Amino acid sequence: MSRYMVDKFMRFVELSDARVAEYAADPAAYVDRWLVEGVGPEAATDDRVLTDEERAAFAARDIAALYALGAHPYLLWHFTEAVHAHEFTPESGWRELVERYRAAVVPHGVVDYIP
Amino acid sequence: MAKLVMAAATPHNPLLWRAMRDPMPDDLAGVAANFDRFRRSFADHEVDVVVVIGTDHLRQFSYENSPAFVVGKAESYHGTWENEVRTFGMEYVELEGHRELADEITGRTVQPEAIDFSVSLEWRLDHSFVIPLQYVRPELDVPVVPIHTNASMPPVPSVRRFVALGEHVRSAVEAWESDARVALLTSGHMANDVGGPRTFAGSPDPAFDRSAAAWMRAGDLDGAIAGCSDFDRMLEAGCMTSQFLNAVAALAAMGGRPADFADVTESRFASSPFFLWETR
Repeated sequence: MSRYMVDKFMRFVELSDARVAEYAADPAAYVDRWLVEGVGPEAATDDRVLTDEERAAFAARDIAALYALGAHPYLLWHFTEAVHAHEFTPESGWRELVERYRAAVVPHGVVDYIP
Repeated sequence: MAKLVMAAATPHNPLLWRAMRDPMPDDLAGVAANFDRFRRSFADHEVDVVVVIGTDHLRQFSYENSPAFVVGKAESYHGTWENEVRTFGMEYVELEGHRELADEITGRTVQPEAIDFSVSLEWRLDHSFVIPLQYVRPELDVPVVPIHTNASMPPVPSVRRFVALGEHVRSAVEAWESDARVALLTSGHMANDVGGPRTFAGSPDPAFDRSAAAWMRAGDLDGAIAGCSDFDRMLEAGCMTSQFLNAVAALAAMGGRPADFADVTESRFASSPFFLWETR
């Protein structure tokens, strides 16, 4: 379990429009690139590592899995909102996303999200 | 000596920025009216400088280094972030800082007894600062001293630390050799669960909201301390409920006296706190 890196990845993506667009276009490729590019002497830590389960959850945009793995709820919601916003249509918008999100996390209740 | 002429606690829900437009939706009319009341009060008190207590939402401050309390000592601040413009339709703003009062609060050479503050001379303020300022002082022409309180990345400081913060802000203002009129603006939530199982489903914990409102109406600082001392209870009320502690700092800053105005306004999002202490 590397909750800190889960949070770090979500925050990294969500803070930038360009990164949101890149991730949404190809989540699996983007998360793999992030894992590789994070390693280097300029980084505060050289351990930009996700477990196989965490990597798979980001690759599949699996909100329920990320929530169950202990992603910070606030970050997870805003990450979800960011990477799905381009799918909004007049028929399926923000409120529908809220409902989808809630349906994904409710089965897991309140989880320990403290890294 | 400078004077703390008013204190207020407001919501900072950024979803209001897009939703609270004319024609005003029925469920947001009360929120808009309360912000308007606070805007008039701020103007009536002829405020020279405003101390804003808010909680950065893992924007500038994150788990790389998570300070409990940060005082802004910058000459100026950029307001909001790219993701908040995208998600909430917020606007970039520029705010003037107030270094002299920031030094009074922080301690210029030695930390004050009350709290070991972190300081930041380079700070980009998120919606917890920008939203209340845009509603309470739309002109954005009053210099600010922002104070971040960590209420979203456990370990969260104890409620007694928030009380100490409020009391310290008051004493620092009153010790400041200035004739400035200072306002304290705090922002946060009642029970609120952003990203948890009760996201945007109204108040996740009406019982907490009732108790919290009662502490403010009665000036029951001891009740607030007792009621907010258990992190698990706060988490049970919703993962972002700890930001209510910013309102407790306002109550403490005003000597624990009852709020002159107290309303908890229901809307489609959650319950919004509006507590106001004015100069008598």
